[in-house]
Amino acid sequence: MDTLTNKIKISIQGVTKVFPSKRADVMALKNLSLDVMDGEFVVIVGASGCGKTTLLNLVAGFDSASQGQILLDGQPVIGITPECGMIFQQYALFPWKTVQDNVEFGLKMKRIPKAERQEQAARFIDMVGLKGFEKSFPHHLSGGMKQRVSIARSLANDPKVILLDEPFAALDAMTRQVLQEQLVRIYEKHQKTIIFITHSIDEALLLSTRIVVMTARPGRILQEIVNDLPHPRNADVQLSDRYMELKRMIWVSVQAEVMKSIEEETV
Amino acid sequence: MNTKNSSNLALISIVSLVFFLAAWEIYCRMGFIEPLFMPAPSKILSRAIKMLNNWSLLGHTLASTRRVMVGFIVSSLVAIPFGIFLGSSRFFMAVFDPFISLLRPLPSMSWIPLSLLWLGITETQKYSIVFMGSFVPSLLYIIEATKNIDPLLIRAARNLGASEVDVMREVILPGALPQIIAGLKVMLGIAWTCVISAELVAAREGLGFMIMNGKEYFQTDTVLLGMVMISVTVMITDLVFRKFEKRLLPWTL
Ligand SMILES: Nc1ncnc2c1ncn2[C@@H]1O[C@H](COP(=O)(O)OP(=O)(O)OP(=O)(O)O)[C@@H](O)[C@H]1O
Ligand SMILES: [Mg+2]
Repeated sequence: MDTLTNKIKISIQGVTKVFPSKRADVMALKNLSLDVMDGEFVVIVGASGCGKTTLLNLVAGFDSASQGQILLDGQPVIGITPECGMIFQQYALFPWKTVQDNVEFGLKMKRIPKAERQEQAARFIDMVGLKGFEKSFPHHLSGGMKQRVSIARSLANDPKVILLDEPFAALDAMTRQVLQEQLVRIYEKHQKTIIFITHSIDEALLLSTRIVVMTARPGRILQEIVNDLPHPRNADVQLSDRYMELKRMIWVSVQAEVMKSIEEETV
Repeated sequence: MNTKNSSNLALISIVSLVFFLAAWEIYCRMGFIEPLFMPAPSKILSRAIKMLNNWSLLGHTLASTRRVMVGFIVSSLVAIPFGIFLGSSRFFMAVFDPFISLLRPLPSMSWIPLSLLWLGITETQKYSIVFMGSFVPSLLYIIEATKNIDPLLIRAARNLGASEVDVMREVILPGALPQIIAGLKVMLGIAWTCVISAELVAAREGLGFMIMNGKEYFQTDTVLLGMVMISVTVMITDLVFRKFEKRLLPWTL
């Protein structure tokens, strides 16, 4: 894609993450390395419990690696970085703030004056199609609307990288499709670097420029697939031979790892 | 349907109260009971009218209310920021924990002798009793409320660039507010018991004083009137508090 440059945005270098526990320490990631280029849309798939969320938390600086390091624009990530905006599956909206105030939050933290904040927030609320809901509180909104607020809130803060952890998993199929299309449009327009986690191979194929399959725990990279499907990825593309071929390939890898993790659990 | 139902229930409550008062009145009028031990409701009412006319009833009520409010507000103003701070810092929680544990079991009454010694029979002494009685329980409520905040929200805020202090102001305070207010409502009741006990021991005005003074002069009707006034005043403050609560928590509507 033309938005891709050769600059490495995020460099994950030999990262191991161990969660100490009383019984047996859990090794969630083992010597995992991955480079994400500026402007890439990387989708990570892998069996449940293979360490995807753990990896994203390390990139966002919520947690620190046991070994190895993560570089953002060549600088090691130490502590929470607003440069990497996180979108959570559970939305994580502030229930006591209106849609408007939620979207303004990052700007308020940057001490941007009220008038400017309002104007900016309004732009992003409009972008995600929530005009007219500015004064609503989150609990009056549907799941899809909440996730759109959360996306607008993140975009308004203008992060370089957006991290999404199964953001659409809790939504119905129709809403999911609308949000997927919206996300692709935002990606194309704003040239962000995106790391997106999902369990859905179709979602991975629809959104990504590259798909990364992780092994069963401890997580490493099993396979990387450059997604060369043409845009827009409409029904024709989804019925094409190439689509089926990619889907089968990913499905086989993921399935093998899922079996491994199930076997491990039952041992 | 629902409103009709609830107005019916209110009617039942009123009838029940009237019935009780009437039975009490009749029982006293028939001379079954010595008025010194239990005066009739009409006697209490005429005492109320007498005391309303010379403004003393209002004076006592306002004196107690003022003491409760000053003590309670000062205690809340200290307890809210301090509780949020302790609830979000494990280090400082450990520093203050022994003192909180030592102070917690002490009833406000137990502070009366010391407070009289230090402050004399003054207004400040009354405030201090209310403060000592409600501060530690409020603090514990607020610490608990602070700990119950969804950690995901704190994460989200930090991810959007909030500093630790921003998180306290923008996430922990509003997030804990519903629980803090529920706790403070309970504390307001406790503040009233504190002030009455302080006034029963040493005071020159206030509802507690009025009750004690009534007993000295064998005016049982004054004693009962004082008790009724406590109930009524607490009910009214509770109502005001509830109005206030709704305005503070618009998102819970
Ligand atoms: N805070 C923690 N303490 C201890 N163990 C943890 C912690 N967080 C994650 N783990 C363990 O690390 C492993 C990886 O968890 P993680 O949540 O990253 O998986 P995941 O790939 O996101 O799974 P899913 O697809 O179900 O969301 C799991 O075995 C999990 O139990
Ligand atoms: Mg996960």
